[in-house]
Amino acid sequence: MSDSNASVPKPSSSVKLVLLGEAAVGKSSLVLRFVNNDFQENKEPTIGAAFLTQKCQLPTRTIKFEIWDTAGQERFASLAPMYYRNAQSALVVYDLTKPSSLTKAKHWVAELQRQASPGIVIALVGNKLDLCTATGEHDAAEAENSETATEEPQEGDARKITTKEAKDYAEEEGLLFFETSAKDGTGVQEVFNAIANAIPETQLKGSRPAGATGQAGQTRDEGRVNLNANAGAGGPKDGCAC
Amino acid sequence: MFLNSLVQKAQSFIDPALTPITSSHDKRPSKAILFRYQFRLPDSENPLHEITAELTIPLPYKSSAGQGGPKSDGQIQGNIYAGKLHLSEQYLCFTTLNTSFHTNSTFQASTAFTGQTHGTGPAGNGFTLPLCAVRKVERLPTHNALCALAITTWNGTASAKSSTAHYDMQRFTLQLAGSRQACDTFCDGLKKGLRNGVKQLDNLRTIAGQCYSEYLLSGGPVKSKDGEGGEIIREAPEAGLGMVFRYPGDPRKLRDRSKMRLWGEYFRDNGRNAMLLRQPTFHKLIRVGLPNRLRGEIWEITAGSFWLRLQNPNLYTQILSKFTGRESLAIDEIEKDLNRSLPEYPGFQSEEGIGRLRRVLTAYSWVNEEVGYCQAMNIVVAALLIYTSEAQAFSLLSVLCDRLLPGYYSQTMYGTILDQRVFESLVEKTMPILWEHLIKSDVQLSVVSLPWFLSLYINSMPLVFAFRVLDVFFLEGPKVLFQIGLAILRINGEELLDINDDGTFISILKTYFSKLDESAHPKSENEKLRSITRFQELMVVAFKEFSQITQGMISEQRAKHKNDVLDNIENFAKRTSIRNLGPESKRLSADDLGRLYDRFYEVLYEQERDLQLHRIEIQKMAGPRTPDPVQNSVEMGRVGMGPSPETMNYDGFRILLASIAKWAVADAPRTPFDISFEKDGRLAPNATPRHPEFPTSPLRGKRIEPADHDFMQRLYGYWNKDDKDGLSLQNVVAGIAGIKGARDVMETIAYFFALYDDNKDGKVDREGILRMSEALLFLSRRGLEGNFTLIGSSPNGMDESINGSDQITISGSTLNEKFLSSVSAFIRRCFEYADPDNPHSGQQNDISTDLGQFSIGEDEDDLLDLSPNEEKDIQETPTKTTPKSPFLPQTPQTPSKQSANLALDPANPLHITLPTFRMVILADELLQQFFEFSFAESLHITPQVPGRTSSFPLQTPTLTTFSSLNTPRIFAPSTPTIPNLHNTDHQSSIVPVKGIRGLLDNIVSDGMRVAAEVRKRMDEAQKDLDRSATGRTDDEYDDEDEDQDARLQGFFARVPSQNSNNNNNNIDTEKRIGVSDHDRDLLDGAEVGSIKEHDGGILVERGPNSAVAALDLLSSSSSDNGGDGAQRRDLGGVEKMFES
Repeated sequence: MSDSNASVPKPSSSVKLVLLGEAAVGKSSLVLRFVNNDFQENKEPTIGAAFLTQKCQLPTRTIKFEIWDTAGQERFASLAPMYYRNAQSALVVYDLTKPSSLTKAKHWVAELQRQASPGIVIALVGNKLDLCTATGEHDAAEAENSETATEEPQEGDARKITTKEAKDYAEEEGLLFFETSAKDGTGVQEVFNAIANAIPETQLKGSRPAGATGQAGQTRDEGRVNLNANAGAGGPKDGCAC
Repeated sequence: MFLNSLVQKAQSFIDPALTPITSSHDKRPSKAILFRYQFRLPDSENPLHEITAELTIPLPYKSSAGQGGPKSDGQIQGNIYAGKLHLSEQYLCFTTLNTSFHTNSTFQASTAFTGQTHGTGPAGNGFTLPLCAVRKVERLPTHNALCALAITTWNGTASAKSSTAHYDMQRFTLQLAGSRQACDTFCDGLKKGLRNGVKQLDNLRTIAGQCYSEYLLSGGPVKSKDGEGGEIIREAPEAGLGMVFRYPGDPRKLRDRSKMRLWGEYFRDNGRNAMLLRQPTFHKLIRVGLPNRLRGEIWEITAGSFWLRLQNPNLYTQILSKFTGRESLAIDEIEKDLNRSLPEYPGFQSEEGIGRLRRVLTAYSWVNEEVGYCQAMNIVVAALLIYTSEAQAFSLLSVLCDRLLPGYYSQTMYGTILDQRVFESLVEKTMPILWEHLIKSDVQLSVVSLPWFLSLYINSMPLVFAFRVLDVFFLEGPKVLFQIGLAILRINGEELLDINDDGTFISILKTYFSKLDESAHPKSENEKLRSITRFQELMVVAFKEFSQITQGMISEQRAKHKNDVLDNIENFAKRTSIRNLGPESKRLSADDLGRLYDRFYEVLYEQERDLQLHRIEIQKMAGPRTPDPVQNSVEMGRVGMGPSPETMNYDGFRILLASIAKWAVADAPRTPFDISFEKDGRLAPNATPRHPEFPTSPLRGKRIEPADHDFMQRLYGYWNKDDKDGLSLQNVVAGIAGIKGARDVMETIAYFFALYDDNKDGKVDREGILRMSEALLFLSRRGLEGNFTLIGSSPNGMDESINGSDQITISGSTLNEKFLSSVSAFIRRCFEYADPDNPHSGQQNDISTDLGQFSIGEDEDDLLDLSPNEEKDIQETPTKTTPKSPFLPQTPQTPSKQSANLALDPANPLHITLPTFRMVILADELLQQFFEFSFAESLHITPQVPGRTSSFPLQTPTLTTFSSLNTPRIFAPSTPTIPNLHNTDHQSSIVPVKGIRGLLDNIVSDGMRVAAEVRKRMDEAQKDLDRSATGRTDDEYDDEDEDQDARLQGFFARVPSQNSNNNNNNIDTEKRIGVSDHDRDLLDGAEVGSIKEHDGGILVERGPNSAVAALDLLSSSSSDNGGDGAQRRDLGGVEKMFES
């Protein structure tokens, strides 16, 4: 596992990724979709955190995600620092049908920006897209037309948070932004691809194998990465073979 | 950080075994708590008597010999154990282990731990016997002990009475070793306890009837049970979901049948359920794993939850029916997890299993709202439910949360985090090489071990093994979790030394757990060795190799780390909380928010602690035999401890304000504040109690006594936007942000106005105006903050400038005196510009006219009066100055007076609106500056930096005020600014004032009394309005009244009308003055006459205080004087005040 370097010709590096977000927004399901391409209705709640790994093949390198999937219940929040410690990337997940979850997501973003490793790549992910009738693009267009970001959703649509509202926030904070459905798989792969691409090379040089974390830690201090350049719902679609 | 200081107070809160209950400085756990923990007794039990004793348990099949009667001369055969016998209210306990406290320790003070269990488990040989289970106690004649008791329990009763008796009554003997007196005392206590114990017999019957052991020993499904009830067919008592959905694991492999047989034998020899005696076999039988059907029952007995059920067998059903239908956040959370709790177990794929789980979890969340529901509880309870009934699982869960896993499932999960820290330190201690490696490879141990502890290994190990761990855990306590954890690392040590990252670490352990049933030594030649499973190996390593891990060591480590852990949690909570305070909070600096947060919780914490101490105090007074306070509540108060109060009552609000604003500090520590506060019913019944005997906490001594004032009550009410029981931090922050973060003076003015706009109709009535003025005096009575810039004049300055001299300074006047003047001017102007609720334009004019008269002509005199140097002058010879002023002295009885006093006429209610209020404030330079910066600066969230000045004292007013219109502002640069002298403006430095401090204090306190008096008289005025019109006689006058009136007039007359300028209607005012000069003269003349006559006296005694100080006589006299005359007289005073 840890010596996957040897078997893969391309340079391989580990990236620690942490999932944060309100309870039952689908953090574990996103991971399950990404790792096993599977979906379960009833997953045991995550106690503390679950740990999974999955590789992501980029044209020039292989990224091995070490995924820390944290418990969502509010009282577990104080444990989170233990898990996002040294994380190079984070998925902050909210539920498109639950406004409170975006608020919580914003709290997490603020927490990460202040407390996590500098330069951490954060992706804001609105999950449960399958419950929304309108597509993200359609919604976004609509939101742009009617200047308010908090417009009423369409009838029969469970969506409570418009794409524009979340996207505007993501751009403001310099986050990657996606809307996904762990249930049908929409957008899940893209999230991880985009993160893999957004991790600066400098951080990957001192990738995790063989006690290189110290170096990695140092390189991380090189400042915040400007994600605005490649932020956006599309993200780089190419390059991931997994 | 304030928390550091609190840490001391929070000592031992972490570990309930260490919970102090006597007082905050006694950090050692009480004997009572240790006693309860040692024998796992309910909180109602206290150690009453204890004595050294020898327990003799008859050998199997020998006891029948004793059935006939007492054995003779101590020739008792059987296992003999020396130990200690304890008696509590309802229990008789015996253990061979050293108790965890010294025998001679006092009732509540504690001592060091001794003994292996350290007060956390019924280890050792002996028994924990509820007195109700004792059927008979006989005193045996012996020769080798002073006293020997033969105890017969109810065990075996049924069969003894039935014709098919297979076994006999349980009977064992105790030989007490002690003085005759000690023995007698003990026996007396026992007798008393036994008598009381009879009451619980029914409960015992109920519960024992639900025990599988009872069923087992009575021989099977059909059995005669109750001698009186006749033959009944017995169904097997409930023993968990496993009875329906099978128990996990292969019963044959688990050798369930032979275990059951062994337990059956054990029960026969040693009693069962409540009457179980612990002999060495007991511990062994538990170590090898409990048989499925007995598992729940033994868990209950060893964990002590059985005693909870004995106390109230129907508690669980009662709770369910009592709270049915109640919704809560916890229930939503529970609902989310019901389908995902041990989903692989068939029982939890069924509605039946899920229903049980739902009921137990919700019942607990109802009962313990502080814990509510924490993920992982679902897994633990689901596991329990496989072996226990709902009621059993419920009481086991209570014991888990309260005692065995302290703080694990709390809101902040501090117990979980703390035990992780403890675990890490134990790893470091016992496996330093591994620990070093983990550190080096940056692997965080707790990411792996946290779920072990939180879910008691249930979702880490295969269920069969997790239950084996639980078996020992319930008997031996939390240390088992640590021992198992350490053993896991030790066994996998070599592999773990090769890992470099979390991922491999986790996968190694995952693999290990999945192979627990395999041979530990598969390649061994020795067959016996080969047959040892990895799990057996784990148990051996855990309990042999790590036998040095004791509860005492864990308690010690917990105590060592708890501050760090709590600090971390609190920092996190603070960070999060401050970030989520809402948009209002953005108006305050991060520093201010942080300090406000600290202060807020500091106050709450102290209140909570005081409450605790108070409860203890009450209990002490109630006598030593009352149960100790519920330990959970002791833990409240500290944020990191989890469920702490989140809202602040009015009392706490006052304390908070007093810590950031000096005006909120009481003038003198007065308990009446508290009393009056309790009267007004704002407090919840359980709010901070005040008590004469209330123990003075160390902090309380230092604590400044907060004031209680109408203004503070209003502030509290205004901040309490949600209309809840108390203020949340967000309320407080928003409230303070409204003052400190106000964008401009207008906003502050509006804020202040809103405080008094009781019904939110944009109007403040007469009463409100008076209260506003009181508040202004209240706020300024300790001096004003910030650098006031005075443009060469007091409130009178306008008139000066009208007269052509911009730069006339008021000699000797202090800022505060001027502020007082401003406030009185404020009252006057408010009434002047107030809108009548029923407009009578004519009368309104009259008032204005009368009021306006005072603005001109007498300023110089008044200014002189105000100067402290001339204080004496005024006071001794008020008539000297007043006659000069043609308007001042007046007789209130003339008919014209009535119309002049329209402001007082209750028949003509009036109000001011925000624009009016704003105008009145802006019209006065001091008031304007007060609202511009002084009010905001009076709140010192961040400790004051010496020399810090107002951020914008010199800001050029963008608003049009009289001063900016008419006078060139004298800016501070021209005058030296003295920083830190908030009681004086820079002018006072020019004119030195003797004894200014005392002077100001008097001014301030007196000024407040004036305002109070004004209001009082208003009321009287309303009552006596009719009579006052009829006039009064000189006979009714007394000296004091005279003086007061004169004073009042002198005081208020000093304040000229300035706002008239501001409103460009000065001409108008002057005109009006002209009109009524006439009448005024008349009035004044009459008044002056009377004053002259009664001049002197008391004022002299008053000494050279400020003019305002004299006003204070007004209040004293008004309370002295009864009778109509005096009232009318008072009325006159008030009338004059408003005319001036």
